[in-house]
Amino acid sequence: MISSKKRLVIFILIGWILLLVSDQASPLRLYQGSYIATYALAIASIILLTGYSGQLSLGHGALMAVGAYAGALAIDSAKLNPMLGLVVATLIAGLFGLLLGLVVARLSGPYLAGTTLALAVALPPLANQFEFLGAQQGLPFDVGAGPERFGEEFSQYQWYFWICALASLIMIWWIANLISSKYGRIFRALRDNPVAAQLSGINVGRQKVVAFAISSGAAGLSGGLLVILLGGVSPSAFPLGVSFFVLTGAVITGLYNLKGVILGGLILVAMPEIADSVVSRVGGSEGLTTSLPDFLVSALLILAVVFTPNGPGHILKRHH
Amino acid sequence: MSQFITAVLTSLSSGAIYALMSISLVLVWRSTRVINFAQAGQAVITTYVGYEIISRTGSFWLALIVAVLTGALLGAGIDRFFMRPIFKRIQSGPIAVIAPVVATLGLLGVIQSLIGMIWGIDYQSIEAPVSTNGFEIGGSVIAFNRFNLFVLICVTTAMILLTLLFQRTNIGLALRASAYSPEIAKLSGIKVDAVRTFGWALAGAASGLAGMLYIPGYYLHPNAMDLLLVFGFIAAVIGGLDSLIGAVAGAMILGFGISFSRSYISTEILFPTAFILLILVLIVKPGGLFAAKKKRGA
Repeated sequence: MISSKKRLVIFILIGWILLLVSDQASPLRLYQGSYIATYALAIASIILLTGYSGQLSLGHGALMAVGAYAGALAIDSAKLNPMLGLVVATLIAGLFGLLLGLVVARLSGPYLAGTTLALAVALPPLANQFEFLGAQQGLPFDVGAGPERFGEEFSQYQWYFWICALASLIMIWWIANLISSKYGRIFRALRDNPVAAQLSGINVGRQKVVAFAISSGAAGLSGGLLVILLGGVSPSAFPLGVSFFVLTGAVITGLYNLKGVILGGLILVAMPEIADSVVSRVGGSEGLTTSLPDFLVSALLILAVVFTPNGPGHILKRHH
Repeated sequence: MSQFITAVLTSLSSGAIYALMSISLVLVWRSTRVINFAQAGQAVITTYVGYEIISRTGSFWLALIVAVLTGALLGAGIDRFFMRPIFKRIQSGPIAVIAPVVATLGLLGVIQSLIGMIWGIDYQSIEAPVSTNGFEIGGSVIAFNRFNLFVLICVTTAMILLTLLFQRTNIGLALRASAYSPEIAKLSGIKVDAVRTFGWALAGAASGLAGMLYIPGYYLHPNAMDLLLVFGFIAAVIGGLDSLIGAVAGAMILGFGISFSRSYISTEILFPTAFILLILVLIVKPGGLFAAKKKRGA
């Protein structure tokens, strides 16, 4: 275990290096980097929920959508500063997770998975029904250009990267602190042995709701970041596939391995690129071109779960 | 009045197809304690096999039989050569609960992308074997046709066969015994592993049938069965996951809820209705409507 002071230094160092590197990187790399940061945060939210508190969610895409819509409304209708919009995204998604958690906390295993799955298919189309959510067109999520004092050299993509990387870093830092605190131990106790946890005086139901709410908040923030990169939020931005995609990332990272989230984000962004380059080299039909990335990601998911169920870092050392 | 009759009839035929999917999921859950997300992939690949047979021979009936048999073989194969090694590898720790489910999700992705590579991702269609023009009631055409009736007949027949299998045969008894208590079943000389594979085969056959009955009213695409999987799953959870009767009842509740809200409230309210039904049932009975009395750890 690293101390919280050391962790803060490490995170500041990572942030500083990332910002320095961003001056040198090409727009494409910055764009990809922003996606990596966004996915890393989404993966972290799943690791907190599934890895640490033992609740399997198949509907994190819906929670991301809640955050994205809340943030977009705050910026577009309430004219809040975009950075505050991201805070709103986090809080509203967290609140939503809290309410949902109160309903589903009694559920476990397949019942929870089923409810979150139903949420993932039910929620985004619901936005179609409401005019103030922009119906099918959705809402813009405009963070504007970078501040003027950063100079003319400071590009739009660099600004995106700064926002995504810093927001993700801060949130992941907070999650890392949480996991190494009392709450982390409580969550692990829930996961490993709910009965023993209850006997030790832990309110199992309440702590599960807490984990669900925090995970939702983090997912909401990553949803907000995702729609910055997409240029706006609409029901089609959060299909069921998003939920599965980030879950895949979390499993590949290792469900107990918060340190690996950047690797997970990197893999999620890199796989389609690798598949594209393979296809362009081999040449192939449209079916092959579109199916190969999915195939690689799914195959990797299976391999990860079969061969390194506790994450790549745990091949050598035994978990616990 | 004709709106009401139409809603009842469409509820029955869509509920019937949800029931096939939820039964597949329940059969696997009872024997393996896993939600098999790959069921959607199995259902869609068998339907592609059926599509291939129709385009070569022109016979829907042959395609239907082959799709159901392929589904059974595929289901048994997946249990024997995919799930069993995974269970052997991962036996302990908190990951043991999550790993098999995630593996079936991965398998779903693999099957769907393989279909994309073999058959392409264009939308295909399967011609229904009977007319799809709506019946007439009192001079007005309703949204219920011969094919919907055909679906109802097929599903009812399948249910009767399944019930006979479970209640009247030795293998049915073995299936029930292994689901109720694998250890005691094993001690009584039942080959639990073989019975389990048979359960997967039955589930595969049911989802194969579901595909061939669902696609003619829809279109064929690698992801075409995803929604049916979600509805089947919701139906199974409403019914309590452990009970075959519950699976059918859950599917019918869902079918009626969706058809009635669509025809009386809004056509776009499909998913919210399903979600609200699920939440309501789970608030009242967290284990589903037909949950077993003995509480089982998930």
